[in-house]
Parts: sequence; structure tokens; C-alpha cells
Amino acid sequence: MSDEPTFARDPVIEAYKQDVDRTLIRRNLRMSVEERFMQLMDHQKFAEELRAAGLRALKP
Amino acid sequence: MTDLAALLRALSANGVEYILIGGVAGIAHGAARLTQDVDVVYRRTPENLGRVVGCLAPYEPYLRGAPRGLPFRWDAETLKRGLNFTLDTTIGPIDLLGEVTGGGNYEALLDDTVILEAFGVECRGLSLLKLIQVKRAAGRPKDFEAIAELEAIAEERQR
Repeated sequence: MSDEPTFARDPVIEAYKQDVDRTLIRRNLRMSVEERFMQLMDHQKFAEELRAAGLRALKP
Repeated sequence: MTDLAALLRALSANGVEYILIGGVAGIAHGAARLTQDVDVVYRRTPENLGRVVGCLAPYEPYLRGAPRGLPFRWDAETLKRGLNFTLDTTIGPIDLLGEVTGGGNYEALLDDTVILEAFGVECRGLSLLKLIQVKRAAGRPKDFEAIAELEAIAEERQR
């Protein structure tokens, strides 16, 4: 098993990388895997609530 | 929303051989991008097909986006005849993949997995490097941002 991140640089990906919010990554890396999964489920629930609110707002 | 705790515990309790890939694997490695479904590469041995069927049966799996009433039977024969299944279940959307572009099947990916611990169980997830390789191999423009984030995670882990 190898998880050493060795990969060739791709200029397109490097350009996209400039816009990655590394503060979020650093915060996530301080969490356990379970905490990351819990956070994902919280975000999914929030997104679903926003979607439902948007649909309600569109109803006449 | 996918109930990851219920899913991972059910997969573990049923002894299913699988590997988490895609967005949820990225989350496990520290990604911040929201993902809606769970992508799983499952081993296609007859024994494991039976485990997958038994594991998900209580959650009423059905083909995502398909009209209700189709003659879809959730059994090992259906899994054997197909390969990749995009499913809705009562615990959320799950993509069951027999193979993944750029990575192959369960056996081909196994050496590039890491053990993840969550919700009291252990599961296999694709390694960060392999996740990047698989997304690069897929060559989809929609993955560029995700690849950039995964590579940034790799860089942050090396700092």
C-alpha cells in the first residue's frame, strides 16, 4: 500500500489549485475521519433544507 | 442525505467487501467539497454479491431516477448481470460500482486502499494518491476542482 502523494504537476490543475481554500483543508485535517463524515452529513442536511425552502418560496 | 453511520455499520455487519471511492473518500482524506452520494466499489464474487444484497435489502434499493413500478428485483442475479448501479435507498443515494475508470475492479484497487475508522467500524477507502490518479484518468473537466483540492490536501499533509 502506498499513500505517498507523488504525482506529476499538471498546469491546468495547478491553476485550479490557486483557488482552493486551504484553511478549510487544514481545519479538516485536524478532525478524525468520523468527524469529517459527521460534518458532511450536517452540510448535506443544510443543503436539503435550503433546497426545500427555495421550492416553498417559488410556490404562488 | 446519506446516513453514513447506518451504511458503514450495515456493510460491516454483513461482511461486505468494498472500497469507498469518490467524494466520500475525498471527505475522509480531508476534502471540504460537498458530495451527495456514496460511491462504493464492491467485490464481484458470488459470496460478496449475496452480502451486498442482504446488506442493502432492508433499505429498499431502487434504480435512481427510474419510474416506480419497473420490474427491478434486488437480488444477486441482478447484481451479477449488471456492473454499476446508481441506487436510491431509505438511507440515501448509493452508487455501487463493479469497476471504476482508471482504477479497475475491487481486486485491482485493493493495494491502494487505506483503513478508515468511523462509527465504530473499519472500512477500506481509496488512498489519496489513487483517488487523484483515478480522477485524473477519468479526464472529466468537472473533476478539475476536486483534483486540485485533493492535491492541495496531499501538499498540506506533507507540510
